[in-house]
Parts: sequence; C-alpha cells; structure tokens
Amino acid sequence: MDYETHEVRDIDVLVIGGGIAATFAAIKAKEAGARRVVQVDKGTVGKTGNSCFAAGVVHVCFPEDDLDDRLLRLTRAQGFLAQQDLIRDHLQESYPILEDMRRYGVRFVMNSDGTYRRMAGRGAYPIVMFYSTQLMDALRQKAQAIGVEQVNRLYVTGLLTRNGEAVGAVGFHQHTGDFYVFKARATVLATGSTYYKGIHPGHKDCTADGFGMAYRIGATLCGGEQNDQPANAMPARVDVGPGMNKWMGEGGVFLNTKGERFMERYSPKLKERSGLPQIIAFFCIEARMGRAPIYMDARHLGPENMERLYQMLPLPQREFESIGVVKDGKFQKQVEFCPTGPTTRPGVVVDRNYASRIARLFAAGEACSPSAVVTGLAAAATSGARAGISAARCAGQSNGIFEDSGLVAELRDQAYKPLAKSGGFEPDHVLLELQETVIPYDILLLRESSRMERALKRVETIRDQDLPMLGAYDLHYLRLCHEIRNLVLTAELQLKAAIQRKETRNILREDYPYTDNVNWLKWIMVRKEGDKQKWWTEDIPIETYPVAPKREVELAYLWRVPRDLGIVSIQDGRVQWEFEK
Amino acid sequence: MGIRKVDIKLCIGCNVCVDVCPLDVIRLDPVSNKAYIKYLRDCQSCFLCEVECPEDAIEVVAVHERRMVTAW
Repeated sequence: MDYETHEVRDIDVLVIGGGIAATFAAIKAKEAGARRVVQVDKGTVGKTGNSCFAAGVVHVCFPEDDLDDRLLRLTRAQGFLAQQDLIRDHLQESYPILEDMRRYGVRFVMNSDGTYRRMAGRGAYPIVMFYSTQLMDALRQKAQAIGVEQVNRLYVTGLLTRNGEAVGAVGFHQHTGDFYVFKARATVLATGSTYYKGIHPGHKDCTADGFGMAYRIGATLCGGEQNDQPANAMPARVDVGPGMNKWMGEGGVFLNTKGERFMERYSPKLKERSGLPQIIAFFCIEARMGRAPIYMDARHLGPENMERLYQMLPLPQREFESIGVVKDGKFQKQVEFCPTGPTTRPGVVVDRNYASRIARLFAAGEACSPSAVVTGLAAAATSGARAGISAARCAGQSNGIFEDSGLVAELRDQAYKPLAKSGGFEPDHVLLELQETVIPYDILLLRESSRMERALKRVETIRDQDLPMLGAYDLHYLRLCHEIRNLVLTAELQLKAAIQRKETRNILREDYPYTDNVNWLKWIMVRKEGDKQKWWTEDIPIETYPVAPKREVELAYLWRVPRDLGIVSIQDGRVQWEFEK
Repeated sequence: MGIRKVDIKLCIGCNVCVDVCPLDVIRLDPVSNKAYIKYLRDCQSCFLCEVECPEDAIEVVAVHERRMVTAW
C-alpha cells in the first residue's frame, strides 16, 4: 500500500467520536484549558452515531425535581447495578448542561415565559424537547468556533500505548486512504454502543468500535450482560425511527396480533410509557405466546399531537410519509414494531472522572459501561463534559509525547490487511451470520443457558474462521471489515457475561427466574491479558450507596407479573409456560 | 429501498450529501461533479441527504435496502 502516513503531534486531548458525548468532551476540554483538542470521527461530526437521530427528547433533572427519587428510579432501572455516585453526578449536572446547550445555540421547546416546556414521555418525569438535528449542528459549530480541530471520515483502527499508558490513536482516511497517527497526552473514547446494524435507522454506524479498541490495549470492560435498556423497540419492517418515546408520549398504543392493548395488563399504571426493560420483556412474552406481530396504533392522534411530532421528529415523520403510513398529517395505518438488536454493552469501566483503568484513557457516553452511564442524550452529555475536563487536566500534568518504537508500523499493517485479501469473505456475509446469531429475541432478550451457549459457539466460529478471511474491495469495505471485528468481539463478550449472570434482573432468563440480591450484586468484568481473556466479578459497594435493595432472593418482577397473570409458573427453579402444558 | 435517486439535472455538486451521509453511501463523481449512489446496500434510510440537499435533488424511501434480521 502506498498510502501516505501523516503524524498529528502535540495534541493535548484527542476525542474519538462525533456524537454528543464526544462533542461535549471536546468543547469542555477546550474550555478547561487544553490547547490543542482534536476530534476524530468516522463520519462527519454531528451527523453520526445515535445523537443526531435522537428522538427530540432529553431527560433532565430540574432543580425543582426530587433528586433522590430520580436517583432511586435510575438505579432501579439499572437493576441496582449502577455506580450510584456517577448517576448522582449526572443528575446534578444535567440541568447546568442543558443551560450550556442553550447558551451554545441549541433550541429547545420553551413556554411563553421563557421556561422550558416539559412534557410527558416514557418514565415518571416529564421530558424536555428539542428540534431534532439542530442540536448536534449547534454543538458542532460551537466546538469549531472555540478552536476544536475536527477530522471527518477518519476511521480509527486502534489506540497507541506506551508503558501501559494510552498515548493516542491511529486510523485511515476513508476517502484518501492515508494513514494518520495522532499523538496525544490524553484520549477520550466516545464511540457509542451498537445494535448490530439491526432495525434502527440512523444507527448503523454504531458498531462498538470503542469496546474493541479499549479491549485490545487491556482496558477493563464491564456490563455486557445487563443495563437499563436491553434493546429499543422500533418499526420492524420499514426504516423508521427512533421516536417511540414521543409516539407513546403523545398517546400511541401497542396492540398484539389479537388486537389487545397488552401493556394495560402487564403495566396498568404506566402502560406504553413503562421503562424499556418492561416494554422489551413484555414484547418478548407476547411473542413467545404466539401473539406477535405487535403493532403501534397512533391513528387516533389529533392535530396538536401530530404538530408536535412533526416538530420533534421531522426525520421519522418524513420516513413514515415516504411509505404512506402518515398521510395528510395523520397516521393512516398501524405499524409493526419489534425489539432492535440487543443493546447491553461491554463498556469501558470508568471512575467519577470518567478515567478508565488505563492511564490517560477516558471514556464518555455509551462507550462507558452501563453502570456508569445510563442510556440517553443527557447522560452522554454530562459524561462527555466530565471526561473532557478530566482529560484536559491529565494533559496539563503531562510533559512528553511518545516517540514511535515500531508499534505504529505494526498497527498500520493491521489496518490495511483486509485490502490485500481481495478474494476474502465480504464483511456483509459475516455481518449476516452474526445478526442471525444474536438478534433473535430468544437469545439475549429472553435468555436460557443452552440457547446462549449455542449462540456463543457460533460467534466463536465466526471469530476463528471468518474474521481471518475478511477481504476488502476498497476503503469503504475496509471500514466495514474493522467494524465487523468489533461487533464479533462485542457479541462474544456480551454472551459470555450473560451466561455467567445466573439470575433475572432487567432481562428475562427462563432458567434463572429469580433476582439474586444475595450473590449477584456484582459487576462482571473482563480484560485482555496477553492472548488470554481474564474474567472476574467485583462486588458493588452497595453499603456505601444511598439506595440498596433488600439482600434477598426473590422472583424477578418481570416474571412475577406474568406469573400473577397465569402466563407462567415456576417449577424446579425454572419458568414453565402455561400454554405449553 | 433507501436512497432511490440523485437527480443529476438538479445536482450542483455541492458535496453536502456526501458529507452528511453517516454510512458513506454517496460520493461525488470527479468527472461530472455530480453526486452518485456508490454503496446502496449500506443506506439506512435516515433521510439526512434528502433533507439537507439544497436543490431537492435526492429522494429516499423508508424501506429496508436489504432483508433485515429481526427479533422475530
């Protein structure tokens, strides 16, 4: 390969990613005094990942809200596996961050007296609304205005280390093919999570790149099996979304194949506005009983609802129009919904400064473990801000920039390797195999040991036999090859962690229907040590946290509800489906 | 069907669609200086190109570009 190598030196803070966590990290690093801040994205900053398609909704803890109650709810949503000190920091900082965004030029829906208009969304607290893609446009421009250097279309393939410290990153430009070496005093990973490129428009570039990069340099990861959002729910057969929060907030309902509004049965109080663990679990139970497909019915929404939807969700509404679901400003048809690919994430373990366990490496947003960062824009922003400030401080305390000792040449060879294999496997072929292994709902959303073991075997086969054969026709396919490597690793870590957690917490497990608060208030950790994978658990310091569950073993709430409805019974410690008797 | 077409009569070669596409689907032809769909199968129907095109030259339809693996 005769692509040129460019060195970008003397960087104080290198930020990898182009969403809200990354852009906040870059802005706050700069504001905290970092001289040279470089933000690198594989797409274009602000037009990439989850953030620019976020469904117009942000969950902010207002000064008048009950912070303790919100902490309790978020902690419960995470099945008590949260790092509660970080969650409290996030809640406290979410309102100042909202004000920052407004100062940076982000437009929110306001009342006539200049206060934020708060509306019902999913969950118990009202949400704040913004105008779709304008949010990330404003943040990108703010970053540029204060001197953040943004490099677009650059796919980062790996992190650089020296003596166990992170000292930058390398990658290739997808249009020119040139190789870039970024030498930095501090690095922030804000590369998001993944949905395995399943149904979820606007998210097919979320390919778990950060998990792969962090894992390969020996960072500790955690949370592959459990989080506050096991999956999302999206229109199943068309490319529309996301927007469930708003469609349900405005009054949309879910119907099963018999036309029953089943969420009324399972969750009489919040119904379709229940949390995602509930929605996903009850979707899966309906499907298991043969009552799928599931439809969203929003045909009854009136002009006021529709006007708000058009304001907050211009892209999804446009998508619905393009296929005739919405016509003349009204929903005309029901829309089939189903869960996306599983979204638990083996994220980077971080402390309150969002520092990883590798010196000089920080993480933000969904690149972090789910115990540290809850799903959603607000937590991505607050974690990004903290990570940026911490990284700037770290850079300020450091002198040298490392000199190359052959590592760069090795990383360069690895980066281009699939290009030399023109007769190799197409990355799409491997992706399809992986999707068929992990996306079906009865693998990671409705769990059971033997099914997960079988899926893991298939993932290991893909890892050992397919990945070495990957070939790229050109630079576009080269990116896809690297993405699929990271996806396969993520699936492996996710399944291994899920098999280890022998209980039902936020995600249904048929062979372990109990929530075990005696033995399983633990985080499952993993790290690469040489060629080996090291797994261990760490106790959650629950005694030091404000919120704790009773230390007992009890039937999980998600199984208690269907048991009380006569759908399942528990026999010999396992779930028995009544309809199968 | 994802991105259906770039109307080359309307395209002014401004590169906006190339920049905003998260999946690198669209490229600019260096000879004609017009946008064209290079990697159709990767289109995710996000509509960014359609809404940001200053000349309304792009049409997208929100149907999967490939057969999707779904939860059921």
